[in-house]
Amino acid sequence: MAYQLEINDLFFSYDKKEVLKNIKMNIKPGTFISIIGPNGSGKSTLLKIISTYLKPQKGNILLDSNKIQMYSQKEISKRISVVPQNTSLEFDFKVKDIVLMGRHPYIDRFKGESKEDAEIAEKAMRYTNTMMLSHRMFNELSGGEKQRVILAQALAQKPEILLLDEPVSHLDLQHQVEILDLIKRMSTQENLTIISVLHDLNMASAYSDYIIMLKDGRILHEGKPEMILNNRNISQVFNINVHINGNPVTGRPYIYTLSGVKRKKRNTKIHIICGGGSGQEIIRTLASEGFEITTGVLNIGDSDWTISKEYQMEMVEEIPFAGISNNARHKNVELALKAHLIVLTQVYFSKGNLMNLEVLLDEKLNNKRIYIIEEEVSFKERDFTGGKAASIYIRLKERENVRILKKDELIEILMKNGENIEN
Amino acid sequence: MVRTLKINIKNTKEIAYFAGFLLLLFISFLISASIGAANIPIKETIGILFKGEVSNNRDILMDIRIPRVLISAVLGAGLSVVGAVMQGIFKNPLVDSYTLGMSAGASLGAVISIVAGINIRIFGYSTTGIFAFVGAILTLFFVYTLSKTKNIMSVTSLLLAGVTVSYFLASIISFIMMLNRKQVEHIVFWTMGSIASSTWEKLIVSGLFIIPGIIVLSFFSRELNIMSLGDESAHYLGINTEKLKYILLTICSIIVGAVVSTGGTIGFLGLIVPHIIRILRGSDHKKLIPYSALLGASILMLSDTVGRVLIQPKEIPVGVMTSVLGGPFFIFLLRRQKLKGVN
Repeated sequence: MAYQLEINDLFFSYDKKEVLKNIKMNIKPGTFISIIGPNGSGKSTLLKIISTYLKPQKGNILLDSNKIQMYSQKEISKRISVVPQNTSLEFDFKVKDIVLMGRHPYIDRFKGESKEDAEIAEKAMRYTNTMMLSHRMFNELSGGEKQRVILAQALAQKPEILLLDEPVSHLDLQHQVEILDLIKRMSTQENLTIISVLHDLNMASAYSDYIIMLKDGRILHEGKPEMILNNRNISQVFNINVHINGNPVTGRPYIYTLSGVKRKKRNTKIHIICGGGSGQEIIRTLASEGFEITTGVLNIGDSDWTISKEYQMEMVEEIPFAGISNNARHKNVELALKAHLIVLTQVYFSKGNLMNLEVLLDEKLNNKRIYIIEEEVSFKERDFTGGKAASIYIRLKERENVRILKKDELIEILMKNGENIEN
Repeated sequence: MVRTLKINIKNTKEIAYFAGFLLLLFISFLISASIGAANIPIKETIGILFKGEVSNNRDILMDIRIPRVLISAVLGAGLSVVGAVMQGIFKNPLVDSYTLGMSAGASLGAVISIVAGINIRIFGYSTTGIFAFVGAILTLFFVYTLSKTKNIMSVTSLLLAGVTVSYFLASIISFIMMLNRKQVEHIVFWTMGSIASSTWEKLIVSGLFIIPGIIVLSFFSRELNIMSLGDESAHYLGINTEKLKYILLTICSIIVGAVVSTGGTIGFLGLIVPHIIRILRGSDHKKLIPYSALLGASILMLSDTVGRVLIQPKEIPVGVMTSVLGGPFFIFLLRRQKLKGVN
C-alpha cells in the first residue's frame, strides 16, 4: 500500500541545537494523527518541515511517493494546508478576503477570483461557523474567532492533508468540540488527512486514529490511542502522574492528571486485602496521603488490581477464576508481615477468594493490627461460601488485634496516628 | 437579488472613488501647470493643451512647466507605490521607499560624481543622476547580501541591514564633504531633492523606468495582500516568499533609482501616501497601488508648485516641501500607532 506521506530518517537542527532526531512516519490518506509532547519537544517544527517551510538537514519526505522538493510551492499548497498557532496581521483585511486568500494557489496571476472560488470560500466559512464574521475586520476578532477564520482559509485551499498547530488552543469548549468534530468528519467522510499538534491529551485520545508522542525531538511512542496512552508512557513523556480510565461513553482512554505535588511520604506500610473494587477508594486515599500500600491477593484484571498496577504497588496477583494458590497465599502473608497494619475491605467472599479471609487467622499475623471495614453491607450479605466465611469472620472478630470500623473512622485514625502505629 | 444589489452599490462607490482621484490628479495638473513665476490663466492653459491654441505663454508651458509637472507626477506616483509595496513586504507601517538605504546609496553615487567632477550627459541626465541610479541599486543588493543568512532572509535583518548601511553611507558622504568643502553647497542642494531642471527627455526616460515598474508591481497585489499574514502563512498559501521579495525589491530599487537620479531624495511621500489610502480605502493592494499612484502624483505636483511660488523668486526644493508637509503627518501616524497599541 502506498503511503500518502512518508518521512524517513529526518533530522533537523536550529544552528547547533538538534530539534528533531531520526523521525519516521508513514501516513495513509484519511488518518487523523495527533502529535503530543511537552513544550519544546519539536512538534511545531515537525509540522513546519512537513509543510516545507523549514528544510531538514537530513532525511526525506515523500508526498504521494514523490520527493516533496519536486513539487512547486503552489502545488504543495494545493495539497497541504496549515493552520499555524498564531496569525497576526499588520494591515487589516475583511474576514471574507482572508478566507478568499486560501484560493490563491488556484488563481492565475492575471485573473481575479472566480465565482467558483467565492463559493468554495463561502462553504469553508459555513463549515467553520464564520459566515457571520465575513464583513468584520480580522484584527477586531477574538483569538478563537481568528483561529476559525484561519481554519476556513486552510479549508478553502481544498487540501488533501491538513496540518494544525494547536487548533483549539484559543477556543472555548463548545468551539473546541465543534472544530474537532468538523475536522474529524472531514477526515472520515472526505478522506482528509489530519496531522494535528494537540495539547489536550483527552482530545487527542478522543479524536485521533493514531498518536505520536514526541520528546526531545524523538518519537518515543506511537500507535493507536488505546495502545499508547498509558501511565508509563505519559509519565515518561510529560513527567506527570496521571490516572487513566476508559471514557465511559467512548471507551477511549481518559486521562486524569494527578497533582504533581507529592504528599509527605509516611513511613507507615499498610497491606490491604481487597478485590472486586472494594479497595478502590481506600487505596486512592491512602496512597495519595503518602502511605506505602501493598495489596493482596488480587485477580489479574480485577478493578483493584488495575489501581494497584497504576500506582505501581507491590501486590500478590493470581490468575482469574483459579482460586488462590498456596504460593499466592504464602506471598500474601509475607507482604502482610512487612506491613505495619492490615486492612480488610468489604470484599464479597466466595470459594475463589476465601483464602484471603482465612489468611488473617495465620498465627504469624497474631501480633499485627488488623482493621476490618464494615458499613451498610453486612458480612452475611457478602458471604457466598455457605457460611464458611462467616465462621472465620466470627473467629476473627474475637481476636484482640482485630478491630471493626467504618472507612471514614479508619482514615481518621490513620491520619492522626499515621506516623506511629504500633505493630 | 440582494446580493447583486450590494455588489452594484459597491462598484459604484469604487468607481466614484476612482473618478474622484482622477479628478484630483487632473485639477492638480492644471493648477500646477498654470501657477508659477508667470501665471497663466487656467482657461489659457486648457486652451493651449487641449485646443492647440497659440499664445504668448505657449513656450513657457510646453517647454518648462509641462515637463516639470509631469515629472513630479511620475516621481510622486513611483515613490508612493514603492512605499506601499515596501510597507507590504515588511509588514511595517513606518517603512518608506528609502528604508533599505537606497537614498543614501543614491546620494553617495551623486556625491562621488560631483566631487570627481565627471560630466557626461546621457539622455538628458547628468553624470550625477546616473551615478545616483547606480548607487541606489548597488546599495539594495549590498543590503540584500548582508542580511541573507543561510538562504533565509528575515524581514527584520533586512530592515536592520538597511538602516545600518544608510548610516554607514551617510558617514562616508559627510567624510567626502569634509574633504571637499567647495562642493558642499552643490551636494546639499542635490540631496534636498529638486526637479527644477526638468526636460521632456528626462520625463521620457524616468517614465520608461517608473510607469512599467508600477504596472508590474500592481500584478503582485494578491501576493502582497497575503504577505500581510506573515512569511510563514504566505508560504503555506503557495507563495515563494524569498523569490517574491527578491522580485519586488528589485523593481522597487529600479523605480527608486530612477526617481532619485531625476529628482534627488524626495522624502516622506512614500511613507504618507499609502497610509492615507489605507485609511480611506483599506489595505487591499489591488486598490492601494493605483490609488497611491494617483494621490502621490497629485501631492508631488502640488508640493512642487507651492515650493515654486511661495518665496519667489527663490524656489524651495520639492524634497524640502514634502518633508515640511510630511513631518507632522509622520508624528500623527506614530501617535495613532501608539494609541492603537494601548487599546
